[in-house]
Amino acid sequence: MSVANSTVPVTVLTGFLGSGKTTLLNRILSENHGKRIAVIENEFGEIGVDNDLVIATEEEIFEMNNGCICCNVRGDLIRILGNLMKRRDKFEHIMIETTGMADPGPVAQTFFMDDEMREAFSLDGVVTLVDAKHVALHIDDGEEVKEQIAFADVVLLNKTDLVSSDDLDRLEDRIQSMNAAARIHRTREAVVEMEHVINIGGFDLDRALEEDPNFTRRYRSEHPHDKAISSVGISTPGDLHPEKFHAWLQNLLENQGPDIFRMKGVLSFSGAEERYVFQGVHMLFDGRMDRPWRKGERANSLVFIGRNLDRIALNAGFNACLT
Amino acid sequence: MPDVDVSKLNRGLIAESWFVALEDYIIDLAWSPVAPKLAAVTVEGAVFLIDDLGDSAYFKQIGQHRGGANSLSWRRDGGEFATAGHDGLVKIWEGDSGQEICSIEAGGAWVAKTLYSPRRNVLATAAGKHLKLWNDKRIAFYSSSKHASTIADLAWNPIGPGIAAAAKNGVTLHLSDETAEPRKFHWKGSSLAVSWSPNAHYIVTGEQNATVHFVYVKSGEHAQIRGFSTKVFEVSWDASGRWLATGSGDTFLLCDCGHEGPAGRQPRPFQSHSNKLAQLAFQPDGELLASADADAFLFLWQPIKHDKVVGGVLLSSPASCVRWCDGDKLAVGQEDGRIVVFQIHTVSKGGK
Repeated sequence: MSVANSTVPVTVLTGFLGSGKTTLLNRILSENHGKRIAVIENEFGEIGVDNDLVIATEEEIFEMNNGCICCNVRGDLIRILGNLMKRRDKFEHIMIETTGMADPGPVAQTFFMDDEMREAFSLDGVVTLVDAKHVALHIDDGEEVKEQIAFADVVLLNKTDLVSSDDLDRLEDRIQSMNAAARIHRTREAVVEMEHVINIGGFDLDRALEEDPNFTRRYRSEHPHDKAISSVGISTPGDLHPEKFHAWLQNLLENQGPDIFRMKGVLSFSGAEERYVFQGVHMLFDGRMDRPWRKGERANSLVFIGRNLDRIALNAGFNACLT
Repeated sequence: MPDVDVSKLNRGLIAESWFVALEDYIIDLAWSPVAPKLAAVTVEGAVFLIDDLGDSAYFKQIGQHRGGANSLSWRRDGGEFATAGHDGLVKIWEGDSGQEICSIEAGGAWVAKTLYSPRRNVLATAAGKHLKLWNDKRIAFYSSSKHASTIADLAWNPIGPGIAAAAKNGVTLHLSDETAEPRKFHWKGSSLAVSWSPNAHYIVTGEQNATVHFVYVKSGEHAQIRGFSTKVFEVSWDASGRWLATGSGDTFLLCDCGHEGPAGRQPRPFQSHSNKLAQLAFQPDGELLASADADAFLFLWQPIKHDKVVGGVLLSSPASCVRWCDGDKLAVGQEDGRIVVFQIHTVSKGGK
């Protein structure tokens, strides 16, 4: 899952129908960022996308390995991006706008499971738009909205002008309890600084958990947990036994991989002067030694985002790996 | 680097005749069936017609698809050719002059494939999940019901009625007749390439999940070859229909499909490339096979007789399409926009 510098970054825009995906997309396209952006759309909405390179596709999920949802990828994206690769020196970023009902898992996994996609592209981040006014009407009807939130690196809480401040606080709390690693921005008409949605490095180990002072506070707080999807954060001092940790994580992913949407963390390994950084999607795991620890920062911080997570068991399993 | 020194290979076998530089990735290329002409489309959508003058060439851009192009195909009499574009259009061009005859809307935002029948003046178009068949009057006389997913590739039955459309979870055989129910051959997977054996006994697909699927057309049974290192993007039959070459990673396999078919027979691997294969094409009336890789090496093999490369050149950039013409000419479209035509001095023909 390593990311090479020469790859073209890809941003995935998710969100329920009417949440403002196309409005955001047009904002990104019209910003003066100097990038030529290719857009892949899964559905043509009422609002047109103002770009000379818009490609429509229909979601086509298939299993790379029979029966394993962690190996589901998007065949349509492989085909279209395979074509775009041939002219990649002529654009610098790709935006994929999914349908309101799309599962972001196969989209994300496409960039790690397929060799050619992995070599040519890097997943920059999943940006999920949430309609602050109407999300309450459908968030509990199915898994789609929850999974889109769970996969997000960034959540834009949109249409905030239509909701009271108290309601917004409650909604933000709920979203943060589902995905403690996501950065939430409140927006009206999808107006947001580009730096919050483009080049966010959501899957980049070099940027895993960095520059986000609120991260630890968020996942340690005692939010009321969503019944199905939640975050479990672990923050503890001490050094880990590397072999024990990897064995525990491997066992965890083998047994609960389909339920773990995202994970990321910074770990302190016994005997190592450097940080160990990791991130993952379902059973796909990427980790490596990073820069040396700075004075006073040595500790373990990690978060799992998924369905039916057992907070006590995860903490106990992790703590058993400490030396 | 490959384990072959191209400077020491048989230079008499392959010699460059000419090249043209079109300055954009050649996404597809095809010889006219009747005249020394080539048509080419680039990834940005430019359409070119090229006259092969023997030791040089004359080329002109005759048109453009907005957004880009995907494929092209000549009608069997060389009177016209069709190009498929990102603009949802299939454009028809006069084969001799290059004049645009008309555009037809194939029914999707992106036309993935267009392919003339080798037996009739019928044009197939695949756009999104829809297959359409068009007659000489540009009327769609057949329109498939929606496929389960986007059609990735098409192949006409070479000797009988029907066209195979490969998509997610198998192949559908359309019999070019509104009244005939299409035959569906179903399996889990996503096909990248489809091809008929020359005797029409088999339909073969290369799959995203690193397998090759064989459909026994008569019985409808199908079998799978597993164990490829990567997705299988190329399948090419020799003229006899006995040998099938399949490309995956830096290796191609040769399967013996004679008599009872490939079941129970061990495919032979051929491995001299050191980077992934991009193209694989059997000579249409001989026993040579051309293979090209991502390091821009083009090799010629006689895989039925020899395990080793028999000829080769280093191109100026990787090949994006390799097309034989009557066995003694080989056109290579490249990523850098060059089209190179080689004269092939065939060692022997027809010996199977």
